[in-house]
Amino acid sequence: MQRYLLSRAIQSVMLMFGVLVLVFFLVRLTGDPARLMMPRDASPADVEAFREAMGFNEPLVRQFFGFMTNALRGDFGRSLHFRAPAMRMVLERMPATLELALAALAFALFVAIPLGVIGGSRPGTIWDTICRGVGLVGQTIPNFWLALMMISFFSVSLGWFPTFGRGGVRSIVLPAVALGLFPLGKFTRLVRSAVLEVRNEDYIRTAYSKGLLDHRVYTHHIFLNVSVTLVSIVGVQFGYLLGGSIYIETIFSWPGVGRMIHEAVQARDFPLVQALAFVSAGFIVLLNLLTDIAYVLIDPRIRYED
Amino acid sequence: MLLALSAMVLLFSACGQAETTEPELSTLRVAVPTFPNSLDASVAAERNAQNVSWQMFDSLVWANEQNVIEPALAERWEVSEDGREFTFFLRQNVEFHNGEPFNADAVVFSWERGIQPHIEWSDRWARASAVERIDDYTVLITTAEPDPLLLGVMAQHWNIVPPVYTQEVGDDRFGESPVGTGPFRFVEWVREDRIVLERNDSYWREGLPRVDRVVFRPIPEASTRMAAIQTGEIDIVNRLTVEQAGALESIDGVRVVTYPIDRVFYITFNNLTSGIGEPTMDPRVRRAMNYAVDRQAIIDSLFGGRAQLATGLMTPSNLGYDPTIEPFPFDPDRARELLAEAGFPDGFEIGFAAPAGAYTNFEQVAEAVQGFLGDVGIVTDLEIMESGRFWDLQAEKQLPPLFGDSWSERSGESLPRLRGALGGWDASFSQWSDPVIDDLLDRISVTVDQNERAALYRELHRYMQEDPPFIYLYIPETFEAVRSNVQDYLPRAAEDFFLMFTYLE
Repeated sequence: MQRYLLSRAIQSVMLMFGVLVLVFFLVRLTGDPARLMMPRDASPADVEAFREAMGFNEPLVRQFFGFMTNALRGDFGRSLHFRAPAMRMVLERMPATLELALAALAFALFVAIPLGVIGGSRPGTIWDTICRGVGLVGQTIPNFWLALMMISFFSVSLGWFPTFGRGGVRSIVLPAVALGLFPLGKFTRLVRSAVLEVRNEDYIRTAYSKGLLDHRVYTHHIFLNVSVTLVSIVGVQFGYLLGGSIYIETIFSWPGVGRMIHEAVQARDFPLVQALAFVSAGFIVLLNLLTDIAYVLIDPRIRYED
Repeated sequence: MLLALSAMVLLFSACGQAETTEPELSTLRVAVPTFPNSLDASVAAERNAQNVSWQMFDSLVWANEQNVIEPALAERWEVSEDGREFTFFLRQNVEFHNGEPFNADAVVFSWERGIQPHIEWSDRWARASAVERIDDYTVLITTAEPDPLLLGVMAQHWNIVPPVYTQEVGDDRFGESPVGTGPFRFVEWVREDRIVLERNDSYWREGLPRVDRVVFRPIPEASTRMAAIQTGEIDIVNRLTVEQAGALESIDGVRVVTYPIDRVFYITFNNLTSGIGEPTMDPRVRRAMNYAVDRQAIIDSLFGGRAQLATGLMTPSNLGYDPTIEPFPFDPDRARELLAEAGFPDGFEIGFAAPAGAYTNFEQVAEAVQGFLGDVGIVTDLEIMESGRFWDLQAEKQLPPLFGDSWSERSGESLPRLRGALGGWDASFSQWSDPVIDDLLDRISVTVDQNERAALYRELHRYMQEDPPFIYLYIPETFEAVRSNVQDYLPRAAEDFFLMFTYLE
C-alpha cells in the first residue's frame, strides 16, 4: 500500500509540474498584454517601454525558466492589476471560497444522502420517483439561472436573505444552495444507484439472515459500502467547488477565488491567472490523492498490493 | 430541497434581528461594478476604482458638471503669455486627513511621485515638465509645449498626497489606506466586500459633504445590482442595462437616472495599411456609406431608442461640439448616387471586422451595418473576432479596411480621442491620416485659449462631416438608479461623480 501511495504522490507532483507548463503557455495565447494594459492613446514608444519594463519582450524560453524557478519557490510574481503578490491575493480569497464550498457540499449531502437511500431502498415507489426527479433537476438546472430566480424571490420579494455579499450566516444560504444544486443532483443519483446495487449483494442477504434489524443493516452494511462510492465523487466535486464558481460568486458578489478568476482574465493579469490556475489545479490533484487514501482506509477489500 | 430551504430560513431568521442600523449617522451605500485595484487615484486602473478614490482627494483645480475648470486646492492661477507657465496660488489652512499641512511642498512631492513609471497614470502627471515651489503657497507648473488640456488633466488625475505619510508607508500601502484632503476620509477596506469612508469634518468646502458615511460595495453582476436597489440594500447603482432601467422605472422607492456618456461608436476606414487602394479612399464613397446605414433604426431596435446619433468623433459634452451639424440622414438613394459618381455603380467588396463581447449588442450592430451596406451593393466580409486578438491586430494596423469600435474620453475634450483614432502612424490605434485633420489637431493641441480652441474644434467637426474618416454610429446612454430619498447625485458624461453634494432626505 505504501508503494501505491508513493507512486500516486509522485504522479501528483508530476501533474502539478505539467499544470505549471500549461498555465504559462496558455495565458500567452490570449494576446499582447502590453497593448491591452496600456491606455489606448499611448504612443507605440510608450507601449514598447512598458513591454520592456514588464519583461514581455524577452525570449519566451527565458520568461518560462524565470517563471518556473520562481513558481517552485511559491513566488508567482506580482499581480499587474492589483499590485500585490499574486499568490498572497489568491490565498486571501481562499477562505471565502472554502466556506462557500463547504456549505454547498454540506447542503448537497444533507439532502442527497437521505433522499438517495430512501429512493434506492424502495425502487419504483413515489419516493424513488421524487429521488430520481431531484437528481435530474439538480444536474440540469443551470445554477446561475436558479441563483437569479432565488434572488428575485427570496431577497427581493420576501426579503429573507441579503441579495449579495458575505457577512453573517444568512448571506451564505442562497449562494450555497445555488452552488450545491449540481452536486446535490449528482450525489442523489449516485447514492440511489449504489444502494440499489449493494442491496442485492450476498453479504446483505447474510446480514438479514443473521436476524439483523433493517436499520442496522442499513447503517452498518449498506451505507458503509455506499460511502466508498460516495467518497470518490465527493472528493472530486469538492475539488471543483474549491476552484471557485465564477458564476455563483459573481452573481452573489461573494469574495472568493472564482470571482477573482473573472477579474484576472478581464484585466489580462498574467501572474494572477497563473497563480489562480495553479491553486485550483492543486486542490483537485490534492483531493484526488486524499480520495485514494480514503478508499484504502474505508474499504479493507482495497489493498492495492498489485 | 424546499423543505431544507425553509428549515434554513427558520434557523437564520433569528440572526436577522441582530443587524442594527445607526440612525444618528446618515450613510450612503453605493454599488461599484468592479473591484477597485487601488484607492490611490493615480494607480486606480479604471473609472469605477477612480470614482471611489476621488471622494478622498482633491486636485489643485476641479471640473464642474459643465466641464468648466474651477478653483479647488488652488484659489486662483495665472498663465504666462506663451501658455507654458502656470502659477498657482494655493489655498491656506488646509490639512490632510492625518493632520499634515497642505502646501507647495505637497504639490511638488505629489508630482515627483506621479511621474514615476510604476504609477498607472504617470503620463498624465508628466504633461507638466516641471513643478516648482515659489513659496509656501505658490507653485510654478511648466509644460514643454503649450498644453490646453493641462487643467482638465490635473482635475482628473492629479490627486494631491501628503509627503510624510506617503513616504512612510510606500505607494502600495498608500493605495490600501489612502490619505488626502478630500471631503471623505478613509476608514476601512474589507477586500472585495466594502470600502468605508467617513465625513471629513474639517473639509475646506464649507457645508460639505452632506452625509456622514459612504460605503462602497462591489457588485459585479448587473442583475444583482438591480436586486440590491430594489431591496434598499444599496442607495446608488450604475451600469444597468436598458431593460433593467425600464423594469425599475415602475418600482416604488427607486428613481432611474440616465444620461449620454462620453463615448462614440463608429466604423473606421483605413488609409494607412489594409485600406490603401480600396474604394473607401474616395470621400464620396465614405459619405455614401454614412448615408447608407440607418443608424436610427439600429438605435431603436437594439438600444430601445436610448442613444444619440453621432456626428464627428465628439459628444455634446465636449468643448467645441457643434450642435448645428446634422447627422447623416438615412438616404440609400443618395448613397447609390454617390457610389455611381465615384465609379462604383454596382458597389464593391470589402473586409470588415468587429470585436466580440466587448460592447453591448455590438455584434448585432455590426451585422446590421453589414446588411445596410449590402442594400446599396457594398458586400462586406464581416469577421467577429475575439476582442484580445481584435485589439492586437488593431494596434498592428492589420485589421480589415473597415472595423467597428468605440472610444471613450474622460478629459471633457475630444482631443485625446481624436488624436488616438486619427493620429496616423504616431498613434497606436489609428488607421487614418489626413493632413487637414493633422493640422487642425496640431493647432488645437497648442491653443490655450478656450474660445479659440472651441472654434478650431468646430472647424474640425464640420470637416469630418464632409470628408468622414468613419461611419459615425451612436453615443450611448448609461442607466443608473438611486433610492428616491437620494438627492443631488450628479454623475457626469465620463461616468464620474462627487458624492460631497449628495444627501439623503
